[in-house]
Amino acid sequence: MRARLLLFVPAVAALAVAAVAAVLGDGRTVVVAGTVPGMLVGAALVLAAVAGAVIAAMAARERAFRRGREEAAAERDREHRRFLDRLDHELKNPVTAIRAAVAASEDASAHLDVIDAQTTRLARLVGDLRKLSELQTAPLERVSVDLGEVVAEVAEAIREAYGRPVTVTLPSAPWPLPPVTGDPDLLFSAVYNVVVNAVKYSEESDTVELRGNERDRTVVLEVADTGRGIPAADVGDVFEELARAANARDRPGSGLGLALVRTIVHRHGGDVEITSREGAGTSVRIALPVER
Amino acid sequence: MPADAPPRILLVDDETSITESLAPFLSRSGFAVRVAGDGAEALEEAGSWHPDIIVSDVVMPRVDGRELIRRLRAAGDQTPAILLTQVGESSERSAALEEGADDYLNKPFDPQELVARVRAVLRRVAAGAAPLVSSQTLTAEGLRVDRPARRVWHEGAEVALTPKAFQLLEYLMARPGEVHSRERLLSAVWGYDFAVHTRAVDHRVSELRTAFGDDAAQPRYVETVAGTGYRFRAKVARG
Repeated sequence: MRARLLLFVPAVAALAVAAVAAVLGDGRTVVVAGTVPGMLVGAALVLAAVAGAVIAAMAARERAFRRGREEAAAERDREHRRFLDRLDHELKNPVTAIRAAVAASEDASAHLDVIDAQTTRLARLVGDLRKLSELQTAPLERVSVDLGEVVAEVAEAIREAYGRPVTVTLPSAPWPLPPVTGDPDLLFSAVYNVVVNAVKYSEESDTVELRGNERDRTVVLEVADTGRGIPAADVGDVFEELARAANARDRPGSGLGLALVRTIVHRHGGDVEITSREGAGTSVRIALPVER
Repeated sequence: MPADAPPRILLVDDETSITESLAPFLSRSGFAVRVAGDGAEALEEAGSWHPDIIVSDVVMPRVDGRELIRRLRAAGDQTPAILLTQVGESSERSAALEEGADDYLNKPFDPQELVARVRAVLRRVAAGAAPLVSSQTLTAEGLRVDRPARRVWHEGAEVALTPKAFQLLEYLMARPGEVHSRERLLSAVWGYDFAVHTRAVDHRVSELRTAFGDDAAQPRYVETVAGTGYRFRAKVARG
């Protein structure tokens, strides 16, 4: 606020000097002579300076606004993590006690098995949520990663686990995919999780394709399927923790897979997007910056 | 202690819900169990009852789990200990190991897994291998690992490893002869186990084999135990 008032200082000072001059009866005239081009250049320079100052002020304002928004988002993330920490902490002892009590029970029964299985599930869910939030700040390994190898490994792992073929298309000309920098285990996980979804929410007869290409110093891995797709109302939320599409409830899942994918990709300076049409299929694109 | 007497476990936790359920389970599993409500009580019990192993929570009033281990080790007491950690971050887990705990489990754990860990640690002690977990340098058949410096030499030449491969080697080498499942290795070495596929373990094992010129079919160091996991098979000594 004070800085803004300073802008008026020259005008106020000039008015004050003019008033004093008028009172003293100073009626002198100043004639400034100059060429027309010279005057125009002078005027242009003044206008340019004014425009520059206005643009700089707007940019500073925009930066401050963005910084404020980023800080608010970071604070929300921290608050979220603290909450999950507390929840995890408070659930640990009761769940451990329940599991130990079930294990110590003399007689086995189906009821006890249900209790054991469901407490284990609860504990895992909360633990996974906390680990997911830890992953947003945990130190990552940063080595050179060949995404071509990662993609081939994922296709093989999917064949092993689900018995489904994945059509892999990677460039070999003019050159193969360049390496990216990051944690190979987490990058594998990110791609694997996306392909698992493609396989889980499609039928044997559907197609799952995994494509890679490079554009503008970015590697884009696309996982596309002709599966059941995601209802339009749910597409916007699928990267959120615990979000599950309305037509996904018949398959087991924690609702953490795509949230994990997003966290991993963001931690590598990349981005992930999804396009889907219910009844037609889904495409997920993971973009990662090429190694410098 | 007579040869056939059950091994003695001192169970330390301030949560009575845990000790009241876990102690009977451990008794049923063939151990003699005593319970202490915090580290200070545990120090007294350790001094008079001489347990074979201590299973302790970390976060407790008065003397916590880490302080308990530090005080025992400072007094020259090498009773093996398993910490039941409350923390998931890998830095906290390695801190627990560096302070002289023999192993750790994250709460909530599978009670059967605790029994398996206890038995493994007791076997390690019986085999005289227990000091390895707290040793700064480990050597085995041409392999030398300097743990604080995070450096490895094979046949005299330094070998470059990724940080995860180093941690995996360190974990396996400090527990030679024991079979570790991929899941256990993920939770012990990686920490964020749910986020990582068990293939990650296979990758780092193959990195280690390549680095040491080891043949997967006839390995000198890391052996694949079909359907189970991995085992460090060479004899390991303190450096």
